[in-house]
Amino acid sequence: MSFMRLVDYLERDAELYPNKIAAICNGESITYKELYSKVLEKSSEFKKGEVVPFRSSQSIDFLITYFAIHKAKAVAAPLEKDIPQSRFDEIASSLSSSSVPEEVADILFTTGTTGKSKGVMISHRTIVSNGENLIEGQLFSHDLLFVINGPMNHIGSLSKIFPVTILGATLYILEGMKDMEKFFESLDYPANKVATFFVPATIRMLLQFSEERLASYKDKIDFIESGAAPLPHSDMLKLCEVLPNTRLYNTYASTETGIISTYNFNDGRCIPGCLGRPMSHSKVIITPDGKISCKGDTLMSGYVNDPQLTATILRDDTIFTSDLGVLDEEGMLHIKGRESDVINVGGFKVAPTEVEDVAMSLPEVKDCICISVEHKITGRALKLLVVIKEGETLNKQRIARFLRERLEAYKVPMLYEQVESVKRTYNGKMDRKYYNNF
Amino acid sequence: MKERIKKLLEDALPLVDFDSNFLFRELDSLGITTILMTLSEEFNIKLEAKDATPKNLKSLDSLVALVESKLSK
Repeated sequence: MSFMRLVDYLERDAELYPNKIAAICNGESITYKELYSKVLEKSSEFKKGEVVPFRSSQSIDFLITYFAIHKAKAVAAPLEKDIPQSRFDEIASSLSSSSVPEEVADILFTTGTTGKSKGVMISHRTIVSNGENLIEGQLFSHDLLFVINGPMNHIGSLSKIFPVTILGATLYILEGMKDMEKFFESLDYPANKVATFFVPATIRMLLQFSEERLASYKDKIDFIESGAAPLPHSDMLKLCEVLPNTRLYNTYASTETGIISTYNFNDGRCIPGCLGRPMSHSKVIITPDGKISCKGDTLMSGYVNDPQLTATILRDDTIFTSDLGVLDEEGMLHIKGRESDVINVGGFKVAPTEVEDVAMSLPEVKDCICISVEHKITGRALKLLVVIKEGETLNKQRIARFLRERLEAYKVPMLYEQVESVKRTYNGKMDRKYYNNF
Repeated sequence: MKERIKKLLEDALPLVDFDSNFLFRELDSLGITTILMTLSEEFNIKLEAKDATPKNLKSLDSLVALVESKLSK
């Protein structure tokens, strides 16, 4: 049998389960048959090989556009829903002149160490391999309702479309987690089993404000996946206590590597930092200097328009990450930290230089450094230490709003502090290590 | 009371305009959690997810009303 792309699975679902609900969003639902027919109709808007940047949204329309682009053999480039227009235009114009290999299905944008957005090219095969890894590793099933509560352009949520479509299961799309009542409504939807993906901050929020309510769904929640950033061990233990019958996964994944390994920490051991065994499409090798490298069908094809940057991490069909890790005698991966300046805030990667560069363009800012500090909700939060020019005062709101006009919301620091100076190393570079333990 | 809450919340969430009458629309889940945590710690009141309704989070005035109603219990 020839290789089936994700959109081919959708076509098959429409034949096998025409009246099954494919997705629910904002009180509306759509069957597989209806979804596929809308995808076919919409696909005439796109040309083969064309790269299509579009603002993502938490909606059924997102699914229609995403699949229609694949159906037309074009390339989907979903961007942040609230991306400033100037950045959208910048990315769109760079994509319009790009040459993309034929196998590429998606271009997903993530932050690079230098602060420039990098477009990660994902092939059709990678998509299906990620989907199959999740089915095997977390036991997705045909009768599952999967609740998406994160942004659709981020691999954490986007990747859940893959196993759901391969199996003909059902998606429930939420705007986000700010209306917790809506989240609990999604759990009330008639289904045998529900599952979802949370960033650690959301788990903290639910444990803090809705523990009893969450516990009342203990027999219905099949599994919860967390990832993107480390979940505090106390929260892991608490979640096991609240949901004793639910599989609770920590996953090792990134846009570049795809979904590599997963560990059910509700196994009686609840090992912190453990990310489980690599799944069948993936292989993990620890390099001599202790870093995690990955092989297999889930890897990206490369960064768009940047073969040089690609070569820095992708060589010999292997991705060399800057995460430090070990494999134990059971073959399980444990993460030990990260050797990179990039800051991970609740799963979103932020290059401090990008934030600093924008803040420096404010006239009252003499010098600044963007660091990550502990935060009671998000785990880590961005903090901007600012040296203010003489005679001026620090105005947090003004800096925050200035940054927001130029950057995505997650890149804007929550905390600000006026300092006398920024620590530098002997050669004048910012001493980021000095600030690591703040 | 209103000024005290405004200052506290502006400090915790510098991006949010607390003079807005469409506060809930401007917030994300993190912002809502931060508001709940900040208010419950400062006033020693119990706030739960079910308190985080669009109505209670419509404006600074509705937040003040929420705190006052919890304090009077």
